[in-house]
Amino acid sequence: MVGLINAVPPENLEDFKNVFVFIELRNGELSRPGLEMIGAGLNIARKANEKLVGIIIGDNLEKLADEAGSYGCDIVLGAEGKDLKEFRTMPYSHIIGEFINEFKPNILLIPATRNGRDLASRVAVKSKAGVTADCTELDIDLNGRILLAKRPTYGESTLAEILCRRHRPQMATARPGIFKIPEKEEGRTFQKDIRKMQIPEEMMGKEIIEFIPKKSLDLTAAKIVVSGGLGLSKPQGFAVLESLANEIGGVVGASRPTVDLGWIERDHQVGQTGQSVRPDLYIAAGISGKIQHIMGMKLSKNIISINTDPNAEINQYSDYIINDDLYKAVPALTEEIRRRKEAKK
Amino acid sequence: MVLEIVVMIKQVPDSQEVVIDPVTFTLNRSAARNVINPADENAIEAALRIKDKVGAHITVITMGPPFAESALIDCMSRGVDDAVLVSDRAFAGADTYPTGLTLAACIKKLGKYDIIFAGEESTDSSTGHVGPGVAEFLGTDQASYTSESWYDNGFVYAKRELEDGTEVVKMKPPTLITVLTNANDPRRATLRMKIDATKKGIKTMTLADLGMPPEWVGLKGSPTVVKSMKAIDEKKREGKKFKLEEIPKLVDELIEKKIISI
Ligand SMILES: Cc1cc2nc3c(=O)[nH]c(=O)nc-3n(C[C@H](O)[C@H](O)[C@H](O)COP(=O)(O)OP(=O)(O)OC[C@H]3O[C@@H](n4cnc5c(N)ncnc54)[C@H](O)[C@@H]3O)c2cc1C
Ligand SMILES: Nc1ncnc2c1ncn2[C@@H]1O[C@H](COP(=O)(O)O)[C@@H](O)[C@H]1O
Repeated sequence: MVGLINAVPPENLEDFKNVFVFIELRNGELSRPGLEMIGAGLNIARKANEKLVGIIIGDNLEKLADEAGSYGCDIVLGAEGKDLKEFRTMPYSHIIGEFINEFKPNILLIPATRNGRDLASRVAVKSKAGVTADCTELDIDLNGRILLAKRPTYGESTLAEILCRRHRPQMATARPGIFKIPEKEEGRTFQKDIRKMQIPEEMMGKEIIEFIPKKSLDLTAAKIVVSGGLGLSKPQGFAVLESLANEIGGVVGASRPTVDLGWIERDHQVGQTGQSVRPDLYIAAGISGKIQHIMGMKLSKNIISINTDPNAEINQYSDYIINDDLYKAVPALTEEIRRRKEAKK
Repeated sequence: MVLEIVVMIKQVPDSQEVVIDPVTFTLNRSAARNVINPADENAIEAALRIKDKVGAHITVITMGPPFAESALIDCMSRGVDDAVLVSDRAFAGADTYPTGLTLAACIKKLGKYDIIFAGEESTDSSTGHVGPGVAEFLGTDQASYTSESWYDNGFVYAKRELEDGTEVVKMKPPTLITVLTNANDPRRATLRMKIDATKKGIKTMTLADLGMPPEWVGLKGSPTVVKSMKAIDEKKREGKKFKLEEIPKLVDELIEKKIISI
């Protein structure tokens, strides 16, 4: 705990060096958002001619550390212990706080996953520094080695550039699904520093009494998202979208009211209060295109709108428009793709 | 001994009313009405449910301009016992660090606290950092992104909704919980309680009450600075129209442009 104290800048900024990234584990493996941090960090580290240091926390880290090295870390810094197998705020933030004290990073990037955000805000306060949330662009100004962190704001309409000139480390969380995972290169040389840690019982914090896994639906990882809105008019409508998604190799998304009505699970929701996606192709069927929905999908590379209303707002954001009943258009699209696949065989 | 609960709420511009400027792509906030941040309504409800079940004294706090009083009165009209407005010119322009510091200082001033509730994030700054920041300042444990929470026999329980599943946690008070938007169905204020709440009124705290130097808070106390704001370049969309019978043509184009692969 830092107590009630203000954000104090360090005296000598030159003492702070290198780019650190927190590689979040999931199910005992390096997670995708974690690997994306290596990608985001590498760009900056190479440009500034600094080292990229990957932090991993968990149990049995040797193999994972090697893997992190093969993705491009120059140093893999680990904290290992039986009690550290699962993410818990208190011990994890304590460990990262200790690493910061010892190694004085210039920059620290953390994935903006739920646990990542949970962690980042505490680590920032611990180190009496600032943190920029949910960045989609990260760069470095070599003059002063200042992190240039950009994040969408005001409902994804504006990109704000946020700096933290005087405090260290310069911290940011980075939105999953944006930064590229680097190519793996087996046999790269890198340094490994894995420490066995025993965390005193009273520092462990909450007890995890149960974990109920779900078929993880990561909308942000999908190349194609087929979303439905109130235009489906009934819950069974999602089955029609499911068929198209299966045929085209995509996943099903949804507008918020369909979720609120219980037609589909919340983790399918796209938009301001759901997930932000930017797939290669986004198909919006029976979705009007209200701003809160648009915010979550307008960065998609290609957008198809299927809507009976020729003036639906979604059309302004669409590359392709089918102005017709989705119950005709979606099955026709599914059938056409199926036919092409058959023809190819 | 009665359970002491603190709920942190923030007033934000109603996102249903904010208008997007078609030229600059920024939100015209001045046109919008102020409402309680949606997730904070769910945080209030989560606190009230614990009060309904095991009894509790709930204090709602906000750091904001004087007109945030209306939001606090609204909370009291739903069953919150006391409200504190932390307001001072010096707080203006705060980023998440001094906001957390100011709220933590206020909570400490209030005395005993067992559970602190916050929303998962605010719709206008959407960082989700203020809640966990307060927990760090106070040295309490935390459970973020919760869909449900309850108190039983001296322990606080919560369900955290993560990307790959639901985690059920057990914590010793004091602890801080952040609540997901839509986690529950917030109750509405009743007229009777509105009258009582208005009569009872809110308390206020200023920087002097918190006993911190002015350079610790507000813009001066903020480590981050916004360097620039730019409209996001929207991709120009063609909006090519296809009739039902032209779907094969559409599929041709999708394949040709490698948008889909067969
Ligand atoms: C704070 C806040 C947060 C919000 N967050 C989100 C969010 O994250 N995600 C989200 O989606 N919304 C969100 N909303 C809600 C949002 O404002 C809209 O209400 C919602 O997106 C509308 O959903 P819809 O397009 O499915 O329904 P509607 O607006 O009712 O549109 C249905 C569309 O279907 C078309 N249609 C009808 N029949 C057919 C048919 N047979 N074939 C083809 N088309 C048909 C209609 O022409 C219409 O355009 C939020 C709102 C608020 C206030
Ligand atoms: N000025 C404030 N006063 C009281 N609570 C706040 C304030 N700002 C943020 N919060 C709380 O912190 C949560 C997260 O906000 P944010 O970090 O801005 O996304 C909100 O849902 C509120 O519960």
